[in-house]
Amino acid sequence: MSHADLALGGHTPAMEPSPFAIPAKKLAMWLFIISDVMTFAACLTAYGFLRNATADWPRPFQSSTVINVMVMTFILVSSSLTMLLGVRAARAGDRSAAFRWTLITLAAGVIFVLLHIRDWAVMIGEGVTLLKNPWGTGLFGGAYFAITGVELLHVIGALIAILIMGLGYRSGRYSAGDLENCGLFWQFINVVWMFVVPLVYLLNVAS
Amino acid sequence: MNAAEKQSGTGRLFVVYFCMLVIPALEVVVAYQHIGGSQKVAAMVSLAIIEALLGVLFFMHLAAEKPKFILFVAVFTLFVLATINYGWTDSFRLLVGAPFAK
Repeated sequence: MSHADLALGGHTPAMEPSPFAIPAKKLAMWLFIISDVMTFAACLTAYGFLRNATADWPRPFQSSTVINVMVMTFILVSSSLTMLLGVRAARAGDRSAAFRWTLITLAAGVIFVLLHIRDWAVMIGEGVTLLKNPWGTGLFGGAYFAITGVELLHVIGALIAILIMGLGYRSGRYSAGDLENCGLFWQFINVVWMFVVPLVYLLNVAS
Repeated sequence: MNAAEKQSGTGRLFVVYFCMLVIPALEVVVAYQHIGGSQKVAAMVSLAIIEALLGVLFFMHLAAEKPKFILFVAVFTLFVLATINYGWTDSFRLLVGAPFAK
């Protein structure tokens, strides 16, 4: 038992002020996000290294893929806005509005996942695998599926978290701050997608 | 937060949202330009960084946090990104097939 505990009669634990004047849960989410930045930065940098060092890197994406990716981007950015509106409603104490916005975010996320899987199906249908493809170096498939796969896993995980958090917030189990922390992760996924689109898709459009 | 503050905050959110839709459209325009590879990469990465900053500052509300916290996030993230990107220029050596650095 510390001196601080003894001074308080040994009944109340010594509390330190929260660092940076934010709740500990929020700081923990930011630390997790920074660590996840390392994951994606490593993936994208390795991809950049491979792409730059490989003379026969294919550029297979047709305009149909570009349109699909732009639709996915619109859906993801819009879902970030709806998540933000949900958090605002939660901060204002409007549980039903917050839950509605959370459901809209969830629906948009599911549509994003389905479009993503459709994109994969098109690539696999054209003969792209992890180790080979009909256009050039086999590294393309591995890099493409690895980066988009990690992104997709994060999206699916975040959607599950948003569903649990939304239902929990509506029932009163979780607070507005908890919903905000969940929303932070969803916004982070949106930020990552902003780098995946130009580096993985748009730099490989068919000329 | 009173009604006027809330309205201006929501208005700003929608402006940021609109910008975050315009930037990918600009990236598509750049993608179809007949310019050099390094120019294209520089343009794409610059646009992506601007869009990411908008997302982090306004959608993730980092701009509303304490300056020390913003510094904390910026220093850690940028340091990690800088160290991860330390060696990618070595790929130019591999492109020309040179086995060892000159």
